[in-house]
Amino acid sequence: MSDANEEGLPTPPHLSSEFYVWLWWESERNSARFELGEPMGQVEVWVDERLVFRRPGDTKVSAVLTGDDASTALESRAALAGGKVVEEIRLRIRRDDREYSVSLKGAAVAIQRAKLPPSGTDADESPLYDRMFHYEELEKVVAALFTVFAKARQDNNWESETLPKMKSWSQGGLAAG
Amino acid sequence: MGIMTGALSVRRFRVVGDLPEGFRDRFREGLQENAFKEPLTDIGKEETEGWVLTQNLLDMDFTDFTRWLFEPSYMLFALRVDKKSLPGRLVKAMLQKRCEAWAEERGVQRCPASVRTDLLEDLEYELLKKTLPRVAVTEACWHLDDQFLLLAASSDSVVDRFRKRFFNSFGLRLVPWSPLDWLQDKSSVEMMMNSAPSFLAMETE
Repeated sequence: MSDANEEGLPTPPHLSSEFYVWLWWESERNSARFELGEPMGQVEVWVDERLVFRRPGDTKVSAVLTGDDASTALESRAALAGGKVVEEIRLRIRRDDREYSVSLKGAAVAIQRAKLPPSGTDADESPLYDRMFHYEELEKVVAALFTVFAKARQDNNWESETLPKMKSWSQGGLAAG
Repeated sequence: MGIMTGALSVRRFRVVGDLPEGFRDRFREGLQENAFKEPLTDIGKEETEGWVLTQNLLDMDFTDFTRWLFEPSYMLFALRVDKKSLPGRLVKAMLQKRCEAWAEERGVQRCPASVRTDLLEDLEYELLKKTLPRVAVTEACWHLDDQFLLLAASSDSVVDRFRKRFFNSFGLRLVPWSPLDWLQDKSSVEMMMNSAPSFLAMETE
């Protein structure tokens, strides 16, 4: 995009919340497997140990769920079913033999507390190259996930098929389907 | 929190504008001219800011390209902001004691406001001379080929300060990244921008 607006493209806050819930639902539905097309290929993405909720239209956090079972805990589904939106989601991402752990936060889908794979840099070379390679790979995966979400959201079936399935799942149903 | 070590928390910006001819020398000048400079006196309460090398916050000499330009694509540098502050409750308590001593010396009940102001100035001067500044360092990595910048900052005030100094140093603007920037298709961006919330996230804009 070549937008020259001083503050960048305006991003409606509901998009990120919906993206986070869609990621959560899809990861349960597809046993964590996402097909992102070329050049990213297949990746595994699952919700890790942290979910943060807030009330719609509010900026204050209203619930934080942590621990190994954050995404499967009854409280997290109850928060969704109760109309709360996801403000932050912690993900584990695996591509080939590299594994990342990252929180996506807020309307900007900011990359926070990203744990990158260990550096394989020689002692006399700056670790920056490795760090940036891994950061860029992580960001490309997130970008590809967002692109798949955007495509799904613009699909004619979003209202008639996808949303009802997500709603049923958020109210305690299975994600499969 | 930094770019080079530990868990990475960053904000991403697009760098708007073309790299100038001979940008390496131009950017070195920009960094050097806007580098951190130690304040002339050690008694000021105002903030002091400027660029430093990421290797050590006391290094402000950008002459050697290899310390901040990682060929072919990356520029790594940091914004250092120093601020001296005094513990308010302690200053208040010390001032009260000095006012009492002043009044007792002169056999009066209270010290007048003007004297109190002078005593406060003296006290702050004494304490600031002995106080080390609070130092904040925010690292940034600029991808010169793809024209984006990662800033290891979480606070909006740091981001604003960084963006201003960046513009003053390099003549280029930093525009916050949006997830919609990831979408290649312009019509898709517009549809997403104008989309209404789905039931799962009934946001009020």
